[in-house]
Amino acid sequence: MPIKAMTQEWMDAYKAAIQADPDYKSIAKDWEGSVSLVVNPEPARNVPEPIYLFMDYWHGDVGDFVVCDKEKADSAKFVMTGDYARWKQVAYKELDATKALLQGKLKMKGDLPYVVRNIKTVNKVIDILGKVDTLWPDGNK
Amino acid sequence: MAGGYAGKFLRVNLTEGSWSDFTLGDDILKMFIGGSCLAAKLFLDRYPLDADPLSPENPLMIMTGPMVGSGFPGTSRFSVCARSPQTGIWAESACGGTFGPDLKRAGYDGVVIEGRSNGPVILAIDDSGVSISDASSLWGKDIYEATDELKTRDKSAKVLVIGPAGENLARIAAIGNDKGHFSGRAGLGAVMGSKNLKAVVVRGTSAKAVKADGEGFKLAMKTAMQEIKDSALAEGLHMMGSDANMDLGMVTGDVPVKNWTSGGEFDLASNLSGPTMREKYLTKAHACTNCPIACKRVVKVDDGPFATAEGPGPEYETCAVFGTMLMNPDLTAVIKANELCNRYGMDTISCGSAIALAMELYEKGEITKDRLGGLDLSWGNMDAVLELVRQTAYREGFGDILADGAVHAARRLGGSAMDAVVHVKGLEAPMHDPRGFHGMGLAYMMSNRGACHLQHFVLATEQGMASWPQLFDMKDDYEGTTSVGKAALVYNSENYGILANSLSICHYVAYSIRPETLRDAFNAITGFGFDFADLLSTGMRDWTLKRGFNNLLGITSKDDVLPKRAMTALEEGGAAGSVPDTALLLKEYYALRALDERGFPKAEMLVRLGLDDLKSRLYQ
Repeated sequence: MPIKAMTQEWMDAYKAAIQADPDYKSIAKDWEGSVSLVVNPEPARNVPEPIYLFMDYWHGDVGDFVVCDKEKADSAKFVMTGDYARWKQVAYKELDATKALLQGKLKMKGDLPYVVRNIKTVNKVIDILGKVDTLWPDGNK
Repeated sequence: MAGGYAGKFLRVNLTEGSWSDFTLGDDILKMFIGGSCLAAKLFLDRYPLDADPLSPENPLMIMTGPMVGSGFPGTSRFSVCARSPQTGIWAESACGGTFGPDLKRAGYDGVVIEGRSNGPVILAIDDSGVSISDASSLWGKDIYEATDELKTRDKSAKVLVIGPAGENLARIAAIGNDKGHFSGRAGLGAVMGSKNLKAVVVRGTSAKAVKADGEGFKLAMKTAMQEIKDSALAEGLHMMGSDANMDLGMVTGDVPVKNWTSGGEFDLASNLSGPTMREKYLTKAHACTNCPIACKRVVKVDDGPFATAEGPGPEYETCAVFGTMLMNPDLTAVIKANELCNRYGMDTISCGSAIALAMELYEKGEITKDRLGGLDLSWGNMDAVLELVRQTAYREGFGDILADGAVHAARRLGGSAMDAVVHVKGLEAPMHDPRGFHGMGLAYMMSNRGACHLQHFVLATEQGMASWPQLFDMKDDYEGTTSVGKAALVYNSENYGILANSLSICHYVAYSIRPETLRDAFNAITGFGFDFADLLSTGMRDWTLKRGFNNLLGITSKDDVLPKRAMTALEEGGAAGSVPDTALLLKEYYALRALDERGFPKAEMLVRLGLDDLKSRLYQ
């Protein structure tokens, strides 16, 4: 049963998917720090307000995975911002997150060299994101 | 006169010890712009193509473009061009640094150097004139020493210098500008050495002819600065240099390992990466004139066997070729190898590739320790590598074989050597694996100086650093390991990217700004009023001109191939199981370029591009 994207239920499912992944723990063993995703509103795609998602990663474990307010999102070690449609492209693997960042389609606040050094962890969590059975606000592809 | 140009070129004949100025009409400038494109036009019009590249008859051209000296970001560049002694075909090598703007300020758009001096000389150019003076006291000095001495004589001078490799006519010799910037590829340092020209010194103080004023330029400049400030790519380059690619490229299958025979050495790559260099050895970032990105590394290794004084640090290409390619996990050894290549004046890609070949042959038993003068050339033995770098520059011992590059070395060594070299048309491939990115494989096959990542913007478009759908039809995201749709991407990325070397703008700046901004700045400077179609058509002309140059030297479709090793799939890593579909790529590409079965530009295309003279020579 698909879960409505960017809801707390969806975040819980995403967290569970990461915890269940057999490779995540070893790949992410060096990663320290929280990541927030800021989803810019696109009313035409049924996303009328900005959405803030906070995810805590720590040495292969995961902590808080919550839909949050702007203040908490801004407190993350890495804050990634983009339009809803871009995030959906990333989830569908139509747009690589690193390429989106380089092309300016996503913005990031945080230590870029740290992300580059841990690119395998970044790719892994995005790969898992794409496996969460999701119902998108503007429909699925 | 078109804007942005100093208005004259310098012709120097070292045999005669004479010089004179010449000019070119606006019609020529508008068609061929500057840099390497204009150099190719001059070469075809004025010089014999079939002269030995190391003979006095091969001209050495140092050319700027109209944007150089304008203050626009990334426009400090110049191109050095000649017929290559390494490949025998067209050679160009663009360089950043400081030399280009000062040449413009001294009143020249370019310099064409003919002949050969009887003894070592310095060519000096400044606002007040030109001189040729004795360089005997500099001959034998390395690039750092010679640069320091020349700057002691005039601290404002900007210098181009060759080192021992160029003096010894190593066909992989480079030309250095102010220690940290190099025209590295295709052996142009040997051409300079063959002319007994140790250095070119410029000192330009004039402000006229290089300042682009006007509201259009100011707006383009302001827009460019903001776009660079907003660019994650530019930020990454500033923080990590070009070696930011090491970690990313290892995941995607871009980084060659163990002389192109392995993939997926993640731990090795992490030791050699841009973040590691930043954390452990970086003392500061360094910028070419008028560049806000500052991608250049200045590094220092305080202790250990490869301790190095503060100086220019390695680019990604060097970290790969002296790192992963040689199975060396020690970044300090890479930094030392880079310093030696800089000092001796050798292209790091060619030098490292030749040594990687030797290491593989040593492992196979095809080269013995005796032949190496006792060196143990096991994978990763960097003490031996550094000694071999020195021998190569001085053509001593086994280094004499490597001094002409991997292809010449393979011919001399025989056995399995040629199958172990990844090259196109005699130039070793840079450190981007065509099995991981099939478009790059096509670009290697079709680049006019041989396997090259800098004659086009394929690196940016195929790997997703930039997306320009407003310029030509392209996707936001390409899968590297497919050949479908890549011919058009390469064709368009060439037509736009090749302009970097005629406008003389840095690739990284061009990646970081929108094409509209570059177009507007170019138009504000030159007054040419180009739209995107004009720009791409100019790029098409540039590529076709150089292709015709090579066709006249015997290059045909038979030379547009990837070598056996690059067509052998890897078992692991990001490129595992993948090789380019070269038949598909070439078929589609030939149609786009209007090349006939021989690989010659079709007559109608030559006419359409205004290359009637070239048509007459190709179809006589």
